[in-house]
Amino acid sequence: MTRTPADWSERSHDLSRLLARASLGDRAAFATLYERTSSHLLAVVLRIQRDRAQAEDILQEVYVNVWRAASSFDAAQSQPLTWLTSIARNRAIDGLRRAQTQPQMRTLGPSVEGRDSEDEDVYDTVADDAPGPLELLSRAAETRSLAACMDKLSALQRQSVALAFFQGLSHAEVAEQLHQPLGTVKSWVRRSLMILKSCLQGAVQRDASTGNG
Amino acid sequence: MDYGRSELADALAADYVIGTLRGGARRRFEALLPAHVELRHATAAWRDRLMPLTAVIAAVQPSSEVWRRISDRLDEGRSAPATNAWSRLAFWRGLTAFASVAAIGLAVLLANPRAVPPPIVVVLVATDAAASGAAAPAIVASISGDGATLVARPIVPVALRPDRSLELWAVPKDGVPRSLGVLPAGSGTVALRGRVLAGVDTLAVTIEPLGGSPTGQATGPIVYAGKFSL
Repeated sequence: MTRTPADWSERSHDLSRLLARASLGDRAAFATLYERTSSHLLAVVLRIQRDRAQAEDILQEVYVNVWRAASSFDAAQSQPLTWLTSIARNRAIDGLRRAQTQPQMRTLGPSVEGRDSEDEDVYDTVADDAPGPLELLSRAAETRSLAACMDKLSALQRQSVALAFFQGLSHAEVAEQLHQPLGTVKSWVRRSLMILKSCLQGAVQRDASTGNG
Repeated sequence: MDYGRSELADALAADYVIGTLRGGARRRFEALLPAHVELRHATAAWRDRLMPLTAVIAAVQPSSEVWRRISDRLDEGRSAPATNAWSRLAFWRGLTAFASVAAIGLAVLLANPRAVPPPIVVVLVATDAAASGAAAPAIVASISGDGATLVARPIVPVALRPDRSLELWAVPKDGVPRSLGVLPAGSGTVALRGRVLAGVDTLAVTIEPLGGSPTGQATGPIVYAGKFSL
């Protein structure tokens, strides 16, 4: 199921109320908040931390923290889904940092074995039929009317920003993945973000005008 | 590095939100956030831009086990007198034991003809929560007379689990505690920017996940606290 930004804003409206009640210690409101948001946050975490058990551990930490920090959420400053998704991504990225010193525990599907083409969107072949980061980026671009922006980026630039954002890869990991020099990848990601910035700014403003009703 | 320059702040915030800012740089960025309005605004703007892009990821239902575990964790918190670290701190403030802590906070006067404000020494004593954690008896924090830097040092080395960090907080009389950063191995020098200590009368140290609180709010127990006045 693909959600649109209008859903994002609409859902945020209800979620703000639930968060406000949770901050006053309302467990039922918190349970509803969990019901409505946990499947999205788990999906976001799973893109970055592909091991299901570890992803669920992260999800648990996220919600325990959200419960404790609910009173610090400021509905005037950000949308609840944006806030929650940020917390989940940060946790997942911090988890990667810790995991780097340990053996990799990815639960990969059989299709990865024997992969020989280096050019394909490799995450398309992992574990299930989930879309790869590039596919996600282009879908996101469609729902956010960013197609014109995307045209300003080369395929590799798009790929680098998609790998970094959706899969949580570091610059060095993106460089390795795309067989490109680190400095090149860094400037691609930066340039892509700067190009997206002005387009996304427009999208955020459209959200604000449609989402506050 | 001058984090006040808006272009740099914007680039760093973009790097942070997309996730490519890693390791020590990521932790430093997070430690700076509470005190830097410009960084905070840039970060919020990048979150607003990028997070809705995740809406296209197909939802994945967590196993029912996850909610059960969360629920258990919340119940644990409930059995304690207060669920929130800072309300526990407020609770101590009423204790006479805490008043004696305040008495230890002392100003060291330097004989200086140019009347440079003297440094302030704050003794952060171990709390009950620290007793279980094999921690040092106290951390001494010294704030430079001009209020620009703070040096924190444990009296004896702090034993910490490798996946935990000590985080230093400035606690205002009223208002939300502000992170002053993570203390590597319990000691370190913290650059104090702007007026982070305005209205602050307590320094506290909590145990946080490695690299510091992921939420910008204290999540772990307060293990040291000390009062002072500027």
